[in-house]
Amino acid sequence: MSEILFSTWQGEFIDNRNRPKEEWAQTSFKLPLEYDTNKPSRAFIGWDGVAIFDENIDAVKLATEYAAQYQEYSEACGRCAPGRWGGRILFDLLDKIARGEGSFEDIEHLKEVSETMMQTSKCEIGRTVPKPILDLMENFKEQFDKCILEQTKSHEYDSDTKYIAKITAPCIDMCPSHVDIPAYIEGVRDMEFTDSLAATRQTMPLAHTCGRVCPHPCEDACRRANLDEPISIMELKRLGADYETDHHMEWFHPQEPKPPRNDGKKVAIVGAGPAGLTAAYYLGLEGIQVDIFEELPVLGGEVAVGVPQYRMPIEKYNKDIELVTSLPTVNVYTNHRVDAERLKEIDAEYDATLLAFGTRLSKKVRAKNEREEIEGYWGAISMLDKVNLWHKYRIGSPASEDLKDKTVVCVGGGFTSMDVVRCSIREGAKKVIMLYRRDEKTIIRNTTYEEYHEAVEEGVEFIFHSAVEEIVDENDKLKKLIVNRFELVPDPDGGRPQLVKIEGADFEIECDFLIPAVSQSADLSILPEEWNIELTSWNTILTNGKDYMSSRPGLFAAGDCEYGPMTIVNAVGQAKRAASVISRYIYDGKVSLTDDEIMEDHLKRLKVYNKNEKISGWMPGIPREVSEKLGVDERKDNNLEVNLGFTGEQAIAEAERCMRCYYIAMVAV
Amino acid sequence: MGVVANKKNKTITITIDGKEITTEYGKTILQVARENDIYIPTMCYLTKVEPIASCRMCVVEVEGVDGMILSCQEKAVDGAVITTNTKDLERERQNIMKLYDVNHPLECGVCDKSGECDLQNKTLEFNVSQQSFTAKDMHRPVQDWGFISYDPALCIMCEKCVRVCNEIVGSEQLQISVGGYKSIIVNTQPESDCVSCGECMAVCPVGALVSTDFKYTSNAWELNKIPSACAFCSAGCELTYETKHESIENPEEKIYRVTNNFEFSSLCGAGRFGFDFENRNAFKDPAKLETAVEVMKRADIIRMSGLTTNEEALLLQKIANQTGARLECSDAYGFSRFLKVYQAASGRRFWGGSLKDVSESDVVISFATRLKDDAPMVKNHVAMAVKRNKARVIYMHPIEDASIQNLVTRFVKYEPGSEEGVAALLLELLTRESEVPDSLKSYIEELDIGNLSGESSVSEEELDAIKGDFWKRKRFTLIVGEDIFNHPRVENIAKIIVAIEKFSSFNVVIVPPSGNSLGVSLICDLSSGNEGYSVGYNCDADFTLSALGDGDLDMPALNQQEGTITTIEKRVVPLHVALGYDGYILNDIAKALGVGSEYTIDLTQELPKEAGFRGVAFDDLEIGFSVAGEDIRGYTLEESESEGSLELEEPEELPSFDGVVVYCVNPPHNPNPFTQKAKLTKMEAKLVGTQQFATAAKLSEGDTVEFEIDGKKFQRVFTIDTSLKGTIALNPTFDMGLSAFTVSSYRFSKINIKKVGSANE
Repeated sequence: MSEILFSTWQGEFIDNRNRPKEEWAQTSFKLPLEYDTNKPSRAFIGWDGVAIFDENIDAVKLATEYAAQYQEYSEACGRCAPGRWGGRILFDLLDKIARGEGSFEDIEHLKEVSETMMQTSKCEIGRTVPKPILDLMENFKEQFDKCILEQTKSHEYDSDTKYIAKITAPCIDMCPSHVDIPAYIEGVRDMEFTDSLAATRQTMPLAHTCGRVCPHPCEDACRRANLDEPISIMELKRLGADYETDHHMEWFHPQEPKPPRNDGKKVAIVGAGPAGLTAAYYLGLEGIQVDIFEELPVLGGEVAVGVPQYRMPIEKYNKDIELVTSLPTVNVYTNHRVDAERLKEIDAEYDATLLAFGTRLSKKVRAKNEREEIEGYWGAISMLDKVNLWHKYRIGSPASEDLKDKTVVCVGGGFTSMDVVRCSIREGAKKVIMLYRRDEKTIIRNTTYEEYHEAVEEGVEFIFHSAVEEIVDENDKLKKLIVNRFELVPDPDGGRPQLVKIEGADFEIECDFLIPAVSQSADLSILPEEWNIELTSWNTILTNGKDYMSSRPGLFAAGDCEYGPMTIVNAVGQAKRAASVISRYIYDGKVSLTDDEIMEDHLKRLKVYNKNEKISGWMPGIPREVSEKLGVDERKDNNLEVNLGFTGEQAIAEAERCMRCYYIAMVAV
Repeated sequence: MGVVANKKNKTITITIDGKEITTEYGKTILQVARENDIYIPTMCYLTKVEPIASCRMCVVEVEGVDGMILSCQEKAVDGAVITTNTKDLERERQNIMKLYDVNHPLECGVCDKSGECDLQNKTLEFNVSQQSFTAKDMHRPVQDWGFISYDPALCIMCEKCVRVCNEIVGSEQLQISVGGYKSIIVNTQPESDCVSCGECMAVCPVGALVSTDFKYTSNAWELNKIPSACAFCSAGCELTYETKHESIENPEEKIYRVTNNFEFSSLCGAGRFGFDFENRNAFKDPAKLETAVEVMKRADIIRMSGLTTNEEALLLQKIANQTGARLECSDAYGFSRFLKVYQAASGRRFWGGSLKDVSESDVVISFATRLKDDAPMVKNHVAMAVKRNKARVIYMHPIEDASIQNLVTRFVKYEPGSEEGVAALLLELLTRESEVPDSLKSYIEELDIGNLSGESSVSEEELDAIKGDFWKRKRFTLIVGEDIFNHPRVENIAKIIVAIEKFSSFNVVIVPPSGNSLGVSLICDLSSGNEGYSVGYNCDADFTLSALGDGDLDMPALNQQEGTITTIEKRVVPLHVALGYDGYILNDIAKALGVGSEYTIDLTQELPKEAGFRGVAFDDLEIGFSVAGEDIRGYTLEESESEGSLELEEPEELPSFDGVVVYCVNPPHNPNPFTQKAKLTKMEAKLVGTQQFATAAKLSEGDTVEFEIDGKKFQRVFTIDTSLKGTIALNPTFDMGLSAFTVSSYRFSKINIKKVGSANE
């Protein structure tokens, strides 16, 4: 393991050169000291500085290579004058010095062109590339001087040091699917909607879906928030997908799908939810044979049968699904339950198997007398299945037959519980109550402000700081609930406040239905016992979170069954990575990551977003656009999509707020 | 003051260079500056499109804000104090110019753009006298894009061309191939798919995109510039003819190219490239004039084309009044019938919608026109609506136009001939939520929707789906095109359109066919089907006065005369003389008949006020655009409001179009016999159909066929176009000479097709 010799990363100046080892300053950043297992890095250079781990590093060459990468990573540049010409000049001048032909005048020109790039470039990549180069020129001046004075090549000019670079952005880094967000926003800004869509689909096939129901963690890492308000990243994703759908265009893939390989290799995927579809898409694009086995009669997993129509219209989701199934090597088998026996067969027949069956068991609320036999006790997953299968596919019967004019109590606090209560309203329930252990602020944080606000508007009654103590039935028919009240008691030591039951504040709710929506768990009965698959403490399938292979070689897991109930975008991100690993594994039997993936993980650890950074070069005070929503009376008795999305004008205005915070990071190995 | 004011259309106050300005939130700093005569330099800014933001020249400083702010894209926020020029800004701008100049070929001496080049201008403006930057150059070969050639070595990657192709033309033909210094503009589609409008070339600030034809023929500053208008379609776009002597040996003037005010407006390929249609070799032979006067005196019929100026139309009307002849104009007659009924039924002179309404719509219905071919400018405005407003575009026509799939959200195919029924179905659909008078209500209720739907094959499900497209949309436009004007039921269709305009939330834009059919309709008393001896003015007749130079007496072409035309925007715009002409003009005949004036343009102020003309003299007509980009050419016709009388008739059942059906339509850059005369736009006329059509008509690729429409014989090579859909073939008329202007039938024709040769022979 290397140690930090020198660093200017994010304003932290460390210079351990000429210092005894025991006096070396340490960094507070998680810099990539080790590139890969047993492969130390020699230096790390990026948008916010440079860190040197190897005293023999060639600073001139490092700067030159970084400038070269800027030229290389052209998707983010070449679209403004300072970036296009400046980047080329930067490289040419540095290379001239590094190969021993430079002059001190070149140093001056380098500084001048750097200044122009930093002041006027269109995106952050152009504005930040000169920074670490200037740092190197200043702090490793002797190396530059030597090349110029002696007109000699820099000492590692012809060495075989590997320079590995990766482009990122705060939002891209935060997005579990690492969607190229600035590119799809730029596509909207330019009204090149097909470009926008192609950018999204590089890592995210479900553009309609994640343009609607993504909790958008990216927006918490939007640099624009440092200036005024974050970009409405999620909603801008809809534009590209809508354009393709509305104009009945042929599918826009991020790359031309490769022809079927027909080499006998094939991959099985268990579950056709977001994770399964995503893996199938990226394997299919590579021309690899994929068979998806789905237990339900329909494709789409929880997004199809869990997320209600008013949030995620099925006709839009079906477009995302068709994109995947349109690939010639992707086959789907619905109504195909995979149990342990079947999994053993699949495992034997296929070169790799990806488990992506989600978490479809509703957890209990842990109340007294909590028994599934009680009529009126109805798991959230099964309730939402019924609602959605009917409305979206006309399978089964309307849930209104059960819920109309009834009193429904839901225990929850996450997205699923919101879906339960809002669907109950739409099914005609007389009274809908949400019980939640914590407070309003937390429920908003767990879901979104809109979701909570809209539920309240539609008539859902929220009772905070409460939990069911006992379920009271009459001949196995739900009668009422006995509910405890809690209060939040601050921790005198400054820790997290504790929920403490208020004695004597219990109350009762008479109701017809109790719908637990506290969480879901994975149905692990699918795993053959003799395989002894390692599990997490959450009872999900254990992987290392990087290559998504389980403890059994060739058996992979992604999405909720790996992570526990989480977001669509998380499932997509994991499945994309798993597909990449599988695409190599089926040929060489090895579990490997690409350089790009290794860098992705390094950057994730380092953290790209810096919420304390001061923004320059952008006008503050430009408000975030807000899309139109259906009024409460227009929506509460039907399944019309609530969020109408941006108008074209709004979308362009919002896209123009994006600061294109692309960065390049590079490691010398 | 503060963020609260930063909501659309809220009044804000900002200060630019010490000048306090009150404006509205939503405008960019650059827009506000320009409106207030404050100069901020730009290289990539183009007023008519959304900010491109590639050049970074327009940076300004804002008090209290770190760094330099991009004024073209950043909105002015309340209370901002902005400085547009400081030493630092000047230095960065100069550096940007130095960067642009890196490796820019020093070939201004032979570059077409020299003298009107933004790069030259700004290099001088920012006093770039020496270059401190260098970069290794790379080979970038010149590309031939047909009408246009692209020299990537000269390209500064401002992206204007790509933007207009996408945002204005809606073609998405040009793309940026990104790659740092290697970045280049790429033409992604085969030449055949390009509408050849030259818009990309027009906006190029340097010599990267130039006309292949014009290239190396003249320095920009040697050309005389004659502002005029394009009369080929009713858009009447602003253009400038640029002329110079032919060569050292030949002093005769010729048009070298057409340019336009690309900052605010556009041109299509016909206007930009079909410019040299002048009648060159005319001369004055008094005997010929005498003959012409004599036949005019005894003519029973005077035929004209829609490509006739307002003044000539008035002259012809005066001649007709004098001689008792009847006036015929095949390409305006149907429209004039439409207009008369429209006026009577609506009580208004003109439809209310404008092209701006189209581009600002979020729902557009295009009805009864092959939009891309018939009306390129209207199509451009639809493209803007699609790109900027995510407009839903419902394209109702018997033939799907797959080439504009990216603009259309719903194709609705109806049977040829069923336009009246479709209009009635639209009336029912578009007024479902409207308050309508009882009489109209009962008319709509009595419509046999099922039957109309069956007859037109526009299903009720389709209608409901269209209705669904309106959900939560706010700005609606109905474009009504040329197919209806020669429809036997045009008068009732006109009434139905009036009812839609009056009682639905739709703006209506009527696309007058051919160049000045609106003017001709307003000025002339037209009729049709008259018998007897005929004299034609740019229209085939027993005795033909022809600007094509192939008639019995020569006449000047539209680039050789002064006059006005009347546009789709209800605007009267002037044409000016680009090239000299040595023959007789219509006014000479009129004079001989005692109804002429000294000059033709004396008639400009005599144009009938009762039709909406304003009596303005030709020399008082403005040309060009205002600083803010408004078209200020000429004037707009006067609207009048009165009580209309709307009495709708029940749609009539029409014989169905079975068998071999063709549709008369010309490509956008070659709409008529005059563009067919121009060297760049002329082309071979072919009958184009699908394989389905070929099978039905028992034809193969390359067969020569003969058929007749309206008594006119067409001989054509047949070709299959795989991008076409359906069973109707497209038949151009541009090669028919002045007889093209005599076709007066409905645009779809059932024909007897005769194979007279095959490709293998």
